[in-house]
Amino acid sequence: MSSVTLRELTKQYAGNAALSLDAVNLDVAHGEFVCLVGPSGCGKTTALRMIAGLESVTSGDIEIGDRVVNDLSPRDRDIALVFQSYALYPHMTVFDNMSFGLKLRKVPKDEIKAAVTDAARILDLELYLDRKPAQLSGGQRQRVALGRAIVRNPAAFLMDEPLSNLDAKLRVQTRAEIARLHHRLGATMIYVTHDQVEAMTMADRIAVINLGKLEQVGSPRELYDRPANQFVAGFIGSPSMNFVPMHVESIDGGIRVVSAGGDMDVILDDVESAIIRSAGVSDVVLGVRPEHIDSQPRSGRGLQLRASVEVIEFLGNDEHVHLSSGSHELVAIVDARTPLTIGDSVTLSASIEAIHLFHPETGVTLK
Amino acid sequence: MTIDAPVKENRVGGLAKRLHLSKAVVNVILALVAIFWLVPTISLLVISLRPESLFGVSGWWKVFTDPSQLTFGNYSTIFSQGFATGGVLDSLLTSLEITIPATLLVTMISCLAAYSLVFGSWRGRDMIFFGIVGLMVVPLQVALIPVVQLYREMGNLFGLNPYGTIPGVIIFHVAFGLPFGIFLMRNFLTGIPRDLLEAGRIEGAGEWKIFYRIVLPLALPAIASLAIFQFIWVWNDLLVALVFLGGNVHSPLTIFLYDQTRSLAANYWIVSTGAVVSIFVPLIVFFSFQRYFVRGVLAGAVK
Repeated sequence: MSSVTLRELTKQYAGNAALSLDAVNLDVAHGEFVCLVGPSGCGKTTALRMIAGLESVTSGDIEIGDRVVNDLSPRDRDIALVFQSYALYPHMTVFDNMSFGLKLRKVPKDEIKAAVTDAARILDLELYLDRKPAQLSGGQRQRVALGRAIVRNPAAFLMDEPLSNLDAKLRVQTRAEIARLHHRLGATMIYVTHDQVEAMTMADRIAVINLGKLEQVGSPRELYDRPANQFVAGFIGSPSMNFVPMHVESIDGGIRVVSAGGDMDVILDDVESAIIRSAGVSDVVLGVRPEHIDSQPRSGRGLQLRASVEVIEFLGNDEHVHLSSGSHELVAIVDARTPLTIGDSVTLSASIEAIHLFHPETGVTLK
Repeated sequence: MTIDAPVKENRVGGLAKRLHLSKAVVNVILALVAIFWLVPTISLLVISLRPESLFGVSGWWKVFTDPSQLTFGNYSTIFSQGFATGGVLDSLLTSLEITIPATLLVTMISCLAAYSLVFGSWRGRDMIFFGIVGLMVVPLQVALIPVVQLYREMGNLFGLNPYGTIPGVIIFHVAFGLPFGIFLMRNFLTGIPRDLLEAGRIEGAGEWKIFYRIVLPLALPAIASLAIFQFIWVWNDLLVALVFLGGNVHSPLTIFLYDQTRSLAANYWIVSTGAVVSIFVPLIVFFSFQRYFVRGVLAGAVK
């Protein structure tokens, strides 16, 4: 096991003006589980493939352990990659699939057998070692792909959306299995996904990438509570954060931000007012998570909003309520016992602690 | 990309459903077609098993009423000649000497070229491929005279004139077999997911290992088709052998049979017996490779 470090890692494909990866810095500690998340085409898979050695480095450095591996071929980097497609060799049995890498490295036969049997036991594949991939279910194939990585005992595991081909139930199961595997092996893992739920549930730390740039790195809690900018705020959390453009107004010494129609307003305290003043903005983007909207009117400072109920999605314990406030659409999660019907006019609130304010142009978090 | 071959409905059943026919009727029709197609071959076999003296006297179908006509006399005559130059067995050997190397070379070179065209990363791969596809339409006859001249030049320059030798015929067959071979293999290899190669690369396989441990086994169905096609083309070739083997005492079966028919009175017993011998080898090749035609070899590779 070892650490993986990216320094100013940049990728530009020939004939493409835009950078696919733009000066990304990331330290993955020994034994850490880091998720790279971002929307499709953001560069997260490119980053992973560069670490694996399947893509060349345009500039910057990749270090595995304490050696720079930029110019090493994939086989000399001592990493294992689990592909989105699993990439099992269809003409080989499960045993041969899992032992292929070891055979190439001329590991003695009895050691290979021990390693494969061990991995098969961990992954519950003992009964399938003689089968071909075509005779396995999706979940089993996925486990063979994991097993192929485990037997090599690599310096780091790289995983490229390994769960995206599984159905919802199996995905939740396998998610737990991978997390368990990580604890058991104490392995360094870099895991690429576009699904923030996977990232939130498994990762020690999450790196959010957008348009080739690293937006923020932090623990799931940090990203949820203190997003660095509007993109991260919107990407982490489900349903995603509500955003409303607001206007800044001064009222008797303090600051109030108010939406265009006046249906939503927030009264800020002195500290926050000072931040808005120093930013010198006359507009801000307000962000509030659906789960932080309270079905009661405001008491004290914070957000108050008047809205009409458009759609109610009953989920058992809670309801997702789609609201229309002036020209803005919002989603709130409320207790399922809240008496609401479609068309109701309601007044809702959110505490000042749950309110995020973003710069209207740069998207940087102000509060 | 999904490679999983959907489980095919029984073909006969599917056809019957669409035409609203019962399966039995379809099978009867198929059997009739098969028999109709087999008639010339069966008649050839029967003629070779009847004495020469009966050939002009009665039709071959008479054996069905009088099976006592059947005899292995023609075969024992042929085989008793052994491998004497100019005999059937000598020609059989010559045919094999030409066909086996020509088939192996075309298959091997096509696989290597296709691998490079599909998985290589050099510039101009597509242009080269289009050029190769273009070569497929060049008729073989166009090249006969230029290649004979080329061979003579080789003789003048290096003292090695392939004209009139078996390697000379093989080289010509390989050159004309390659465009189709590369075309077929390239189209098949494009269906192999790149992920498989990358997985191999990460696990420590070099280019050569990836080629023969991952790509070749997956390409077996295409290799089998190509080998069968190529084998049968070369086996049945008369023209190239006639042009390039002129004067050689050893000639392939096609030339041997041709020689027997153009005499004033054709030796039908030799022609029919030799033809049956010449059918046997491609049949063996076909049946030994056909198990690789099994579909869905790639099923389960990805997803």
